[in-house]
Amino acid sequence: METIVLPHLPGQPLQVCLFANVQNAQFLRQQLLDGNANFEYAFLDAAVLLSRQHVLAACFRAINDMLQGRLKSKNVHSEIVFSLSPNNNISESFRRFGVSETTNHILAIKVGGDQAQVEEHLRQHVEGQMVAFTDGALAGMRDESRIRKAYKVDIASVQADAFIIGSMALKGS
Amino acid sequence: MPIAIGLEGSANKLGVGIILHPPHDTSDPPSPHDSAHSDDEAFPSRSKPHTSPPVQILANLRHTFVSPPGTGFLPKDTAAHHRRWVVRLVRQAMRQAKVRLEDIDCICYTKGPGMGAPLGSVAIAARLLSQLWDKPLVGVNHCVGHIEMGRAITGAENPVVLYVSGGNTQVIAYSAQRYRIFGEALDIAVGNCLDRFARFLNISNDPAPGYNIEQLAKTGSVLLELPYPVKGMDVSFSGILARVEEMAEKLEASNGSWLDPETNCPITKSDLCFTLQETVFAMLVEITERAMAHVGAAQVLIVGGVGCNERLQQMMGMMAQERGGSVYATDERFCIDNGIMIAHAGLLAHKMGFETRLEESTFTQRFRTDEVLVNWRD
Amino acid sequence: MTETTPVLKDRLPIPFNTSPEPFTLVAQGAESLLYKTTFLSPSQPAALKVRPVKKWRHPTLDKRLTRARILAEARVLVKLSGEGIATGSGGRKVKDPKKGDVGAGGMRGMVPAVLGLDWEQGWLVTDWIEGGTVKEAIYRASRSRAGTGVPGVGDDEARVEELTQLLRKMGEVVGKLHACGVVHGDLTTSNMMLRPHATQARSTSTSEGSLDGDLVLIDFGLATQSVSEEDRAVDLYVLERAFGSTHPREEDLFACVLEAYAQGEGSGMKGKAGKTVLRKLEDVRMRGRKKSMVG
Repeated sequence: METIVLPHLPGQPLQVCLFANVQNAQFLRQQLLDGNANFEYAFLDAAVLLSRQHVLAACFRAINDMLQGRLKSKNVHSEIVFSLSPNNNISESFRRFGVSETTNHILAIKVGGDQAQVEEHLRQHVEGQMVAFTDGALAGMRDESRIRKAYKVDIASVQADAFIIGSMALKGS
Repeated sequence: MPIAIGLEGSANKLGVGIILHPPHDTSDPPSPHDSAHSDDEAFPSRSKPHTSPPVQILANLRHTFVSPPGTGFLPKDTAAHHRRWVVRLVRQAMRQAKVRLEDIDCICYTKGPGMGAPLGSVAIAARLLSQLWDKPLVGVNHCVGHIEMGRAITGAENPVVLYVSGGNTQVIAYSAQRYRIFGEALDIAVGNCLDRFARFLNISNDPAPGYNIEQLAKTGSVLLELPYPVKGMDVSFSGILARVEEMAEKLEASNGSWLDPETNCPITKSDLCFTLQETVFAMLVEITERAMAHVGAAQVLIVGGVGCNERLQQMMGMMAQERGGSVYATDERFCIDNGIMIAHAGLLAHKMGFETRLEESTFTQRFRTDEVLVNWRD
Repeated sequence: MTETTPVLKDRLPIPFNTSPEPFTLVAQGAESLLYKTTFLSPSQPAALKVRPVKKWRHPTLDKRLTRARILAEARVLVKLSGEGIATGSGGRKVKDPKKGDVGAGGMRGMVPAVLGLDWEQGWLVTDWIEGGTVKEAIYRASRSRAGTGVPGVGDDEARVEELTQLLRKMGEVVGKLHACGVVHGDLTTSNMMLRPHATQARSTSTSEGSLDGDLVLIDFGLATQSVSEEDRAVDLYVLERAFGSTHPREEDLFACVLEAYAQGEGSGMKGKAGKTVLRKLEDVRMRGRKKSMVG
């Protein structure tokens, strides 16, 4: 469990928690579908995450769009999922980057909130193993073919990061 | 004391001016006596006292060839107009200036750039005076005339110059005895663009088409989308003209049914004039700002007929202020083509020993600003 | 070169106007301000380019232009970062593989990466390029050349060799850029950075006169996507003139830039394409529309 304060966005700290080998992805997804107010999270499928920077770029964009009153989806949490997408198709972005029944590893993000409370709540409801949110951990979880498909880029290259983050930033232009 | 007479006729204005350059020790501000217009206004309050020797304007007369609405001035008719009026204007100027023939040092005339036939008729008049009075001729670059007169009147010492008229659009800065062109219109001049749109709308050419566009634009408020072709410090206007003409046709055909989507008010001719002005002036201010940043200048001087436009002056003023500088502009006596600027620039060159021999006293439609050796400046 | 002018944060766009992070004004152009700050992580330096509102321009027009220009710059940078690795359609692949045989790797590390932007607010953040400008590097080299004076003839030769290498690198990178279908629009030695190699980053990044490092092109504010030979030639012409006026002592070495450009080392504008551009460059020089008309 980690609290990340993005530079320039001190008012919107991120509570971030990476879970490996999650057993109840279906349950978590259902909470989002039901609009359960106790589950105000962005649940990301860690298999399509390239790096911390990749995730944080999506968070910055989502929060900035929220501050500007430009959210394209329901709230800042769904917007984080949407922000990962290189295109404007919201439901596709949830399919690609959000939690699904078959998701193994989940990155949970909450904008705002209290770290202890968030951690407590997640521990209670996510049946998985809490691991540190590092590039190394992400590298072990990712599915390269899915990332390649989502961003249409050969991710073996060192600069894939730049292209992916840039494409996300340009989305909607 | 050096005195020169200047003859200008590169477009539809015939101008005759007589200038006096007092000796160097004078520290009085300039005292121009312009008599071409009875409604003399004080100089723009923006003007600051200048350090270069002040000049005295002994006469500055102008007569304009105004063509009917919807038509431009044709070279042949314009040349005829200049021939018809030049003797009268020279006589009147001499009377007004109260100078004797022997006081005059040189006859200055516009060598170019401009329209061939009108330039030719004025060059002939200058040659005739030169032989009749036995005075040397000084051929002057029209653009340099504008720049030097603008500097003398406003006191701007080393400004970036935006020269905007019916025939020219240039961003100029001085360096090593040349007025160097940093940016320019690659096709038609901005004044030509405005004039031709006025003609398209059948707006009167009196006193000037651009002036009437400016008045119409004051009541416009809708900004429609036009192209904005700026490349570095260069601009082009023909695409904009074509587009705004299309809009005018659409407006004509729509019979009031073309509505502004935001306010639901019908689009008017005024909106088109407003749109055109806002767009082309933004382009001009932008390239001027780029040139100022490039050479590190804070002053900007606007010269040429379009320089009279108050909206352009206002926009340029805001830009200059943001950069911690100021804008210098002249009123219509000096920004519109006139004889005094030709006399002034010619006399500056003549004092450095420059003279145009009779057999070289030609005129030319093309004459770049940066071809002139500006040896009277450091 | 960094200045220490206090930055008026309230003039910055949202969300930077209320940010507690430090900002250093690095450069002030006619239409943009460049700040050094952080982005995504407090330890990650970043370059923030802001296009402030021009009050003299009609607000609708101002918005339209700011948006178009921020996007144009970002699109070029993202396109370049995807060069050779993007597999999708939509023009992101190498436009003309025959002309632009960039190969895998593309412009890797030769342009800044886009980290974020807001075209409504008029800002663009890219990663921060360490090191100094090529202009500073050449000045330093020039000073030590002058400093060695007569006795240091050997030193001088080594210097010239080093400079030549640097100029060749400039030609190669510009060749690659052109091969990717982009013209920079404002090539100068101030818009080229010399980033110390990762290994030397700590010790010798500012070592006296070092001309070593990776060349990175910056400031794509006037860049356009184009494969026209004319546009490429003008791009080189702008660089040639800027180089001549900035580094008159080194002007005679500029031929190295063009040579490396046309040889296409590192798969840039090699073969016929490069030669055609150089021929076009001669036309552009001759035309010298912008050339001062002295003499």
